[in-house]
Amino acid sequence: MSDPVRAVLGQVLAVAIAIALGALVILAVGESPVRVFRVLFLGAFGDATKIAGTLLQTTPILVCGIAACISLRAGLFNIGVEGQLFMGGFAAAWIGFGFSLPPVFHVLLGLAVAALAGLAWIAIPAFFRARYGANEVVSTILSNYVAVLLTSYLTIFLFKRPGGWSETPPIHESAYLPAIFDFSRLNWGIVIGLALAVGVWFYFRATPRGYAITTMGSNPKFAEYGGIDIRRQGFAVLLVSGAVGGLAGGIEALGVHRRFMEGFAPGFGFDGVIAALLANGHPLGTIVTALFFGALRNGSLLLEVDTNASREIITVIQALIILAVSAQILMRRRADSTAGERRWKF
Amino acid sequence: MEVLEKLFNVALVVATIRTTAPILLVALGGSFTTRAGIFNIGLEGQMLVGAFFAVIGSIWTGSALIGVACGVAAALVFALVFALLVVTFRANEVVVGLALNILAGGMTISLMKAIFGTRGSIVGHGIVGLPKLTVPGARDLLGSYAPLVSGFTPLVYVAFLLVPLLVLFYRRTRLGLHIGVVGEKPDAAEAQGLSVTRIRYTASLLCGLLAGLAGAHMSLGYITMFTENMSSGRGFMAVAILIFSNGDPVRLLLGCLLFGFADALSLRLQTFGFPSYLVLTVPYVVALVALFLLAWKTRPKLVRETADSMRRLLSIRPASPER
Repeated sequence: MSDPVRAVLGQVLAVAIAIALGALVILAVGESPVRVFRVLFLGAFGDATKIAGTLLQTTPILVCGIAACISLRAGLFNIGVEGQLFMGGFAAAWIGFGFSLPPVFHVLLGLAVAALAGLAWIAIPAFFRARYGANEVVSTILSNYVAVLLTSYLTIFLFKRPGGWSETPPIHESAYLPAIFDFSRLNWGIVIGLALAVGVWFYFRATPRGYAITTMGSNPKFAEYGGIDIRRQGFAVLLVSGAVGGLAGGIEALGVHRRFMEGFAPGFGFDGVIAALLANGHPLGTIVTALFFGALRNGSLLLEVDTNASREIITVIQALIILAVSAQILMRRRADSTAGERRWKF
Repeated sequence: MEVLEKLFNVALVVATIRTTAPILLVALGGSFTTRAGIFNIGLEGQMLVGAFFAVIGSIWTGSALIGVACGVAAALVFALVFALLVVTFRANEVVVGLALNILAGGMTISLMKAIFGTRGSIVGHGIVGLPKLTVPGARDLLGSYAPLVSGFTPLVYVAFLLVPLLVLFYRRTRLGLHIGVVGEKPDAAEAQGLSVTRIRYTASLLCGLLAGLAGAHMSLGYITMFTENMSSGRGFMAVAILIFSNGDPVRLLLGCLLFGFADALSLRLQTFGFPSYLVLTVPYVVALVALFLLAWKTRPKLVRETADSMRRLLSIRPASPER
């Protein structure tokens, strides 16, 4: 068997094992796995509205996944996408309700400020990582908690909608990221996400800078001897990754909720990181994994109505998939241990 | 001034000791894996399943002790899976740790829904909490300072007693030394005939044991309830402390006291009318600042060493003799 075929087969086998384990968990909570999977599938792809809903859920996961891909490429873990998403979401909403601007410009400014907010949010962890080697996994995780609390504070104490409950005023219509169909909140964010995925893939594949980043990720020593300033490059990569995370929040705020509220977009950042990991940091692969997770999420909306299982059962399935895949790839890698070592490859 | 007096008193110290205990337990657990050369980001999840199953065990048997045992057993299962994937399959530690954390979060919520039919939290249902131990004679000897040493739940004493015990463990026992060797020079350990695999498994399981205790203390200690994701980042803070203490029990204790204090202070400040959202960020911000400061402080040595070795490699200049 050729290597790529074996790799894909292995991945499929790992996902199958994870789903089998997931079925056991569903049995353990007293539900029928067949029914749960059926509800999940129909909830995700049952009709046009459901498919649009799946794409709607896919959008933030995809954009967050691309953010994670960018950092993974350089061998860095930006686990703080969730926090950047919250900061970006708040910043975009603030531009949206706080200013009156001409239509198209308003949206673009909102998205740009969202990206800036994400960038600003990762700047300190990125600086200390690049300059002094402070562990970015822990610092970005901890800053997630701060971001969620800080945006809640800003929303409730400084920008609360009069008479509302822990949400900002709605944004002006000029700041709406337009919907694609009239039957769903699905918006142009999905197009932005797909364009980003292709753009990032092309960048890593075809530009010298992209190659330098990939080299840094797969072998930092080699990259350094090759004349790459890995500190500066690492810093820049984390900043861009954070900016994309912020953009994801901007898309959610301007395209879906059209305001910022407490508990805005819970877990999309983490789902994005997992989607990127599952795709092994490949931007195009992340489209597929993000769609898969988006489908799971959208399918799970009906889960609590139609079955006794809680919708968190899908996070269990996601985690099991990651675990199965992480074990499986390494069984393969142990056989050919001369393969280049990538810190983020699992 | 009056506010400060109200804020900083015996009760605050007592509260600090209380809030330090769970994070100290989980950090001491993490010291085993850190010393054995494993970056264990999965502490958070181990703590969470420990807390959940401690509550379940307590409800089903009516015994806090069996509850603690159930919590520890669950954390041990997670630790075993972690070791299996990381040590045997050599999967990436960060990926496996994160996945196990996510699994812990989803699993506890799903099981809560399946068993109790509710979301959010488990309160009541006959959860039996840990008893409070009174140190005999403390009241007479210390008067109003007695709460400083008496009236804590047993796991608080366990946490603080483990610090000197672990110092001895790492310095004086065979296993402790082996763990250190495996962490620092795995090749040398292998050459000495030590089984790196077995020692890393042992370290991971010891870590699960203490993380389970930490979780049990969270849900059966001062509050007897389980809430969704109730570990709320304490496992990650423990990892931050582990990074800058390098798994040394005494430095761990100091770091944990700092966080315990930040935690206790933030609880206090809320009662003084500070917005809770901002106050709750205090422990995380303290953790971040500490992480950054320590990285900044250890830098000179690193840069110096790199510069020296580069110089020697390139032999542009001889290494400075006065060093």
